[in-house]
Amino acid sequence: MTTTAPNQAGKKSAGKPKKLSMKARYSALTRDLDWEPSYVSEQEMYPHTQYEGIKIHDWSKWDDPFRLTVDAYYRYQAEKDKRLYSVLDGFAQGQGHLTLSEAKYLNAMKVFLSGVTPLEYAANRHFAYMARQFNGPGPRFAALCQSIDEMRHAQTEIHTLSNYNKYYSGMHNFIQQHDRVWYLSVTKSYFDDALSAGPFEFMIAIGFSFEYLLTNLLFVPFMSAASFNGDLPTMTFGFSAQSDESRHMTLGLEVIKFILEQDEANVPIVQEWVDKWFWRGYRVTGIVAQMLDYQLPRPVMSWKEAFELYFEQQMMGGLFPDLALYGIRPPKHVEQAIWEKDHLSHWLHDTFYQFSHAANFTTTVPDEEHMEWLSQAYPDTFDELYRDKWEEMRKLDEEGKRFTYPGLPQLCQVCQIPMTFPQHGNPHLKAQFTSEYEGEHFNLCSDGCKWIFEREPEKYRQAWLPVHQIYQGNCGGPTIPDVLKWYGVQEGDNGEYVGSVDQKNWVRWHHQIEDKLGTSSEIEETLEAEGVHAAVKKIEEA
Amino acid sequence: MQYELKTQVIEPLRQTFTPLIERYGNKPATRYQEGTIGLQPVENFHYRPTWDSERELYDPNYSALKLTDPYSYTDPRQYYYTPYVTNRAAMHDAFGKTLDYVTNHGLLERTPADWQQLIAEVIIPLRHYESGAQMLYSNACRFSYGATIAQCCGYESFDRIGNAQLISRVGIALGQQTADILKAAKALWIGAPSMQGLRSVEERLLVEQDWAVGVIGLDLVDELVDALVYRYLDEEAILGGAGAYSLLAQHIGTWWTEHRKWLDPLYKEWIADEQYGAANTASIEAAVNTWLPQALAAVKLIASRADELAGTASIAAVEEHAVAVADRFRGLGMDITDPMGA
Repeated sequence: MTTTAPNQAGKKSAGKPKKLSMKARYSALTRDLDWEPSYVSEQEMYPHTQYEGIKIHDWSKWDDPFRLTVDAYYRYQAEKDKRLYSVLDGFAQGQGHLTLSEAKYLNAMKVFLSGVTPLEYAANRHFAYMARQFNGPGPRFAALCQSIDEMRHAQTEIHTLSNYNKYYSGMHNFIQQHDRVWYLSVTKSYFDDALSAGPFEFMIAIGFSFEYLLTNLLFVPFMSAASFNGDLPTMTFGFSAQSDESRHMTLGLEVIKFILEQDEANVPIVQEWVDKWFWRGYRVTGIVAQMLDYQLPRPVMSWKEAFELYFEQQMMGGLFPDLALYGIRPPKHVEQAIWEKDHLSHWLHDTFYQFSHAANFTTTVPDEEHMEWLSQAYPDTFDELYRDKWEEMRKLDEEGKRFTYPGLPQLCQVCQIPMTFPQHGNPHLKAQFTSEYEGEHFNLCSDGCKWIFEREPEKYRQAWLPVHQIYQGNCGGPTIPDVLKWYGVQEGDNGEYVGSVDQKNWVRWHHQIEDKLGTSSEIEETLEAEGVHAAVKKIEEA
Repeated sequence: MQYELKTQVIEPLRQTFTPLIERYGNKPATRYQEGTIGLQPVENFHYRPTWDSERELYDPNYSALKLTDPYSYTDPRQYYYTPYVTNRAAMHDAFGKTLDYVTNHGLLERTPADWQQLIAEVIIPLRHYESGAQMLYSNACRFSYGATIAQCCGYESFDRIGNAQLISRVGIALGQQTADILKAAKALWIGAPSMQGLRSVEERLLVEQDWAVGVIGLDLVDELVDALVYRYLDEEAILGGAGAYSLLAQHIGTWWTEHRKWLDPLYKEWIADEQYGAANTASIEAAVNTWLPQALAAVKLIASRADELAGTASIAAVEEHAVAVADRFRGLGMDITDPMGA
C-alpha cells in the first residue's frame, strides 16, 4: 500500500484539527453537496431561471434562514405529529364535534377544506419544482423542506376535518369541487397563476406574498376561528403548523431580499410582482373577510380589525419601510384595499348568501345579536349601508321567500369574483372595468385587476371562468340542478342553513345526548313534520 | 375480562369522502387514502405554464409512461407524511447511535488504512450523487401524474438528501470532526477519473426531459451502486477487518430494501396497465437499453478504484449484478441487450 490513510494525512498538519462550527457543519451537510455541472451546461441543468429577466450573480450569497438538518427535521416533525394525531383521535372518539359553538361554524371549515387545503397540495408539488430548478443549493434545500411541509399541511388538514365530514355536509367532495365550483376558482386560479409563472415570480407570489405579506390574513384567521368556536382539532393543527409557517415566512422574506440584493435591475421586476401579487392575494382574502364577519357563531375579530392589525400596522408600518431600503415601495392599489376594509366582507357575504344554493356551504341571515356586533365593528358603514339589506332578506325569509339570485353573475376575468364590487371611494356606484385584447372584450372588477390583466392579457384570456363555462355547456348541463350534480353537491351541502340537514342533526344529536326525559322520538317527529324551529321550541318547553 | 365503557354513539352520515366511497365503497378509509387518493387537480386548469406552453400544469404527457388510472398505483408502505417522518426519524436516530458508537470506540481510526482510504475516496463522494438524486426525484415529484406516485417521489427526494447527509456525517467523523475528507471527496467527485462516469451519467439523467425515464435511468445506476457499496463491499469490509464500514453502511442498505417496496410495484403497474402497458413496456425497455450499459460503465470505474485500494474484486460483483438486473427486465418480457456489450 502506498496511499496514506486519511487520518494520518490529517495529523500531518500542525496542531489539533479544526472542528467544524455548527454553521460550517450545516453548510457541509447542505449547500456543500452542490457542484457545478460540466457534462451538461448550466443552462441545460437549470433551464427556467433565465427567462424572467432576474439576474443572480452569486447564489452562495443566499443566507439560509434556518439551519435544519434532515435528522433534526424528521425528529421534530414526527414528535409534533404524534401530539396532533392523539388530539384528533381523542376528539373523534369522544364525539367532540358536539362541543362546537354551532354546526354552522363548520361552513368556515368547508370553505377552508375546499378552498385552501388544495393550495397546500399545489405548494407541495411546486416547491418540489423549486427544489429542482434553482441553480443555488441554499434555496433548493429550503424549497425542498417547504415542499414536504406543505404535504404535511394538506394531509393534516384533511385528517383534521375528516371526522367532521362523517357527520356534516359540504366537505365530502372537496377535491373535485376545487376544480369545478364557481367561487373555488378564485383560490384555484390564484395558485394556478403562480404555478404557471417562472420560478422567481412563484417565489414572490407564494413565498413572499402568500406566506409572508398575507398569511396573517389568509391562513391564521381560520385557525383563530377554530379556537373561538370549540374546534380543538383545527386549533391544534394551527399550532402544530406554526413552526413550519414561521420557517416559510422567513424563507419568503429571505427570497425577496436575496433577489433584490443581487442586481439593481431586479428591483423594478420585483416591484411589479409585489404590486400584482398583493392585489391578487388581497382579492382572495375577501373570502376570509366574509368568513370572519359572517360565518362564525363566535366571532374572533372583524375583518376591519384584522386588516388594520395584520396589514396596515405590520406590513405597511413594519415591512414596507424596511423594503424601502431596497427600493421597493408599497404595492399599487393598496389605498383601495384600505378603503374597502369597511365594506369588503359585507359585499362578499351578500354574494355568498345569494349564491349559496350553488355552493358547498350554507348561509343564513345574521341574527339580531350578530347584527349588533357588526354594527359595533363597523360603526361607519354597517347601519348606514348594510343593515337594511339583511333586514330585507330576513323579512323575505320569514315570508317563506328566502332569496337566492336567479341568474349567474359576471365574473372578473382576473380574480374571478362576481363583479359586485363598488368603485373605489363610492359604495353606491358599481365598478365596471373593461379591456380589449385581440378583438375580445373582457370584464374586470377593479383598477387592480385591470392593471394585472393588461400586463399579461395573453395569460388571463385563458382563464377557466366558471360562469362562462356553464353557459358554454361544459358543466353538466344548462340548468342549476345539472350544474349542482356536476359539482357533486348532495342534499344538505348548500342553500339555507336554517332547516338544513346539518342544523336538524345538530338539534337531534344534542337532544339525544341531553335527553333525560326520553322524549327523543317525539322531538324527532316534530323535526320531520314541523321543522327545526318547532323542534327547538319543544325542547325548550321540556 | 374487559370493562365496558359507555360511550355516546352517533351514527355517521358517511364513512369518508365521496371520491373514496365511489372508489372503495362506503367504508372507513385509511389516512393514507384520505390524504392521497385523488388529491391532485385533474381538470379546468386556468393557465398554461409560461415555462411549457405545450402542456397543462399537471399533465400525463410529461412522460411517455402512463397509467390509465393513476390511482391503480398505491404505495404498499401506505406512507403519508406522518408515518414517513416517523419511520425516518427512527432510521436517522439509529444511524446517529451507530455513528456515536463508532466514534466513541475509535472504530474508524482503527479501521485498516486501505479501507479508510476506500471510504474516503469511494464512499464519501457519493454524497454528491445522493444530492443529485434528490434533484431528480424532486423533478419527478413535480411532473409525475397522480398524487400516489408524486408522493412517493417527494419522499424519495427527501430520503436522498438524507442519505447525502448520512454519508457526509461519516466523512466528518472520518475527518475527525473536520471537513477535510468532505473537501477531498468533492474534489474527487469533480475531477477523479473513477468518479467521472457516475457524475456524467447523473448529470445527463438530470436533464432527461421525461421524468419517468429519469427515474428508471437513475434506478439502474442506483442498483449497481447499491450492489457495490452496500452489498459487496459491505461483505468485504467485514472480511477485511473494517467492521465500522459495515456498521455504518447497514442503514442505507436497510433503506434500499424499503425503497424497492415502492418502486418495484410501480414498474409492475406500468407494465400491467390495460391501455398503456405495451407502450410503457417498450419505453422501459428502451430506457434500460440506453442507461444500463452506461450505468455499468460508470459504476465499474468506481469499483475499479475500490479494487485498487483494498484488493477487492468489485468489478466482477458489479458486472454480475448488471446481468441480474438485465435478466430481471427480460423476465418482465423485455428484449434487453447485454449490458456488457456484444
